[in-house]
Amino acid sequence: MAWTYLDKYPKNLAKSLWIMKPVITVTKLFFKTMVHRPVTVLYPYEKEWVPDNYRGRPGLDFDKCVGCGMCARMCVTQAIKLIEVDDDNGNKVMRPQVNIGRCAFCGYCAEYCPLDAMTVTPEYELAEYTRYDLLYGPRRLKYDKTTEGMKVKLEVTLPSDVANGNPERRVCIFDIDKPELNDAKCIGCKKCAKSCPVSAITMVEKGVNDKGKPIIRPEFDNSKCISCKNCVDDCPKDALQIKEVL
Amino acid sequence: MTDSLVPVLEAQEKMDTDKMWVIWGPQHPFSHGLWTLKLKIDGEFIVDADPIVGYLHRGWEKETENRDYARIIPMTDRLCYCASMTYSHLYCMTVEKALGIDIPEKAKYIRIVADEVCRIQSHLMWLAAVGTDLGNLTVFLWAMREREYFLDLNVKLCGARMTTNYPRIGGVRNDTTPLFDRDILRTVERFEKAMWDIIYLIDDSSVFVSRMKGISYMTREQCANLGLTGPAMRGCGVDFDIRRDDPYDNYDKVNFEVPVLNKEKKVGDTYDRYMIRIEEMFQSCDIIKQAVQKINAIGKNAPYRLKTPTKVPAGTTFGRLEDPRGESIMYLVSDGTDKPWRLKVRSPIFTNVSCSKAMCDGIRIADVPAVLAQIDMCLGETDR
Repeated sequence: MAWTYLDKYPKNLAKSLWIMKPVITVTKLFFKTMVHRPVTVLYPYEKEWVPDNYRGRPGLDFDKCVGCGMCARMCVTQAIKLIEVDDDNGNKVMRPQVNIGRCAFCGYCAEYCPLDAMTVTPEYELAEYTRYDLLYGPRRLKYDKTTEGMKVKLEVTLPSDVANGNPERRVCIFDIDKPELNDAKCIGCKKCAKSCPVSAITMVEKGVNDKGKPIIRPEFDNSKCISCKNCVDDCPKDALQIKEVL
Repeated sequence: MTDSLVPVLEAQEKMDTDKMWVIWGPQHPFSHGLWTLKLKIDGEFIVDADPIVGYLHRGWEKETENRDYARIIPMTDRLCYCASMTYSHLYCMTVEKALGIDIPEKAKYIRIVADEVCRIQSHLMWLAAVGTDLGNLTVFLWAMREREYFLDLNVKLCGARMTTNYPRIGGVRNDTTPLFDRDILRTVERFEKAMWDIIYLIDDSSVFVSRMKGISYMTREQCANLGLTGPAMRGCGVDFDIRRDDPYDNYDKVNFEVPVLNKEKKVGDTYDRYMIRIEEMFQSCDIIKQAVQKINAIGKNAPYRLKTPTKVPAGTTFGRLEDPRGESIMYLVSDGTDKPWRLKVRSPIFTNVSCSKAMCDGIRIADVPAVLAQIDMCLGETDR
């Protein structure tokens, strides 16, 4: 039995030098602890080093974001809400607003951002005087010193790659999982095209039906699509679903 | 004169010497968390005890039914802040079992490392609590100091100290960061030396040993009947550890000894339960060293996270693992959608705390903190 501690203890204290043993131990420890550096830091003046992937408050690259709402969908505490703001050109766009008071600091918004616009930041001193100040709007979420490590990337290995003997290939699930249309269910209502944040869906006419009315069906541009599932959620007839590549 | 005293003496004999109920908690400095322990005392001795839990109930299991599988992982961290890694591991393991997938080797070893780091820091938190319960503030400070180094490892690995959110269904969140193996080996080697200072403080001091030794004996039969699990059970002489007896995630490929005391002797007092946890920390260090070697041998570009389908096929799944506190079980009933139909959590502390009646039987009031510290209470997972 290779035991580190149980081989030496329990000791029969009556047989050992009953009171002298603790005195010797304490004296030894006293001299040992006399000389060592402090283990604490002078907090407001000195700070502990934190790594790049430290999960402080979320950060946002305003121009990279397209307002797909993936962060709001994945947020475990529903701290993220999409609000309408003006961008630099004066257009109305949707961008995430984070309520830091609700935030669980799980880092899902950064991990599941298809465009790496949402990041984690090492900022952890977030106390405010009022609850309103805890609301971080899209502009306030900006973080200047974003490094590559803060853009937490969701990279997975496909089980099919492992089976084919190519286990070193990494893919992002937003690059391979694309929406798929169930043609029988589609009614051509164009809701998916309206909800798409990157205009990857165009409605095209595909012939006429029995009554002589045009059949309109969505067509997907997979190079633009970011797999945000907005079209899947907005489809009133459940005609769309994400096809998972495994 | 003697005649006049007779009725008084007779009345005194008939006087009500009933036992008294004393209530500890829910907000008491000794109790680690919000729970009540009702103690029936006869003078200084305890004749009955009745634990009451439920002050922290927040509908955890019901809330999981309204979330998709990926979004439950951060919630499992909040079950117990000391065992966040093992609970997320357990949840992911259960869902992987339901999906019927086998995760990459590297992810398994990373999970072992993360679990054992979690176990050490949880036991150090317990040691700090034992120190304060027995009136030794030095043990508290030193144990917390050692724990900080392991929390720093958590930060380096996954970016958060306690609510780690690290395991994922199909693997782990990220690969090991550069120089992580160097950092973890340094920390473990440093800890193995520094731990002896704390051991000398407690085990060589007759004050603390005599407070723990010889009180609150539990037999093996009692452990089996009451459902006591974990280090507390092994301290009573039961040789059972899920890591060895029902291995999960490559625990069968690392060598370690399950600490258990000599069965022939009379074991099972508070001091024995204390010793098992100390030895477990050293065994965890051994496991970490082996697992880090295995991770290095697997190589840098090996897969660590598999892609998994979002929808889990209908059926029931049962997963269990060795938590720092005992045996944690999750029972998942899935119905083919992307949300669980039911997720039942079996918390080790919920059953361990029900043993407090057997543990407190016949001890003195002053020994109650020393005895109940060995349960290592955590109310977040008990009440859920």
